[in-house]
Amino acid sequence: MKRAYGILLRLYPRDYRAMFATEMSSAFEKASAERRQGRSVYARFALAELMALTMGAGAEWIAKLTTDSSVRGRSLPDRLLMRPPGVSWDAHYAGAFPSVPEEVSQAQERTELLVKRIIHAISQHDFTGARRYSDEERQARASLRSLRQKYQIGDTGGD
Amino acid sequence: MRHVVTKAHVLDVKPLTEPVLLILTSLADQPRHGYALIQDIESLSGGRVRLSTGTLFGALRRLLEDGWIERFEQEDTSRQKQAYRLTAAGRKQLQLELDRMKQLTRAGIARLRASEA
Repeated sequence: MKRAYGILLRLYPRDYRAMFATEMSSAFEKASAERRQGRSVYARFALAELMALTMGAGAEWIAKLTTDSSVRGRSLPDRLLMRPPGVSWDAHYAGAFPSVPEEVSQAQERTELLVKRIIHAISQHDFTGARRYSDEERQARASLRSLRQKYQIGDTGGD
Repeated sequence: MRHVVTKAHVLDVKPLTEPVLLILTSLADQPRHGYALIQDIESLSGGRVRLSTGTLFGALRRLLEDGWIERFEQEDTSRQKQAYRLTAAGRKQLQLELDRMKQLTRAGIARLRASEA
């Protein structure tokens, strides 16, 4: 039952899981222990829990897709925005997400740098430069995509 | 002077759902963590309502988003004991809802009495 609960929890959006999954599992285990008074009582409890979890996952995805990120951030802070200055991406997320190979993180940094250069070039009205950086950024993004495929890493920008 | 009813004002007086009302009532006297809320709500409702974890945490997420409750870590407890407490806005909403229910109850009782007389 605990396993089924854990599997259904994975249906929830990642930011929701990061915030509530541990608490939910803990509350479920306690409630589960309390309800072991008879087969029918436990079966009813288990069915209600699993159904609510499935419907809840659907509701949370709808909420995630229809709510502005600034509003959603009130209940589920974007941990990407909470990385303290000077702390590397890998160090900050150690344990929360699988570690990223050096090759991938370098390609990611290069892509981010090129985006900054495009923005800077546009702000300086250097449209020729912006176009050049944009071409480079496209290539860098393609290379990053292939590296992610090689290491079987999902896109970290969303769920 | 003309009063304009904004969407926010309309939302403020929208009746609360039963799980939300019970959660706010449960948090009115003291902060509680997830499982303590489930137990207290069951006791508050005389055993009639037993919130599942999916329903409870979905409602808690929405209440956090609305700023009606806040989350904090209780001292000497692990991450599993994150607790929730009412904010001033949440307390105000609960008060508004209870006033609304009180008014409705009074009106209902008055009509019942009138029909019996």
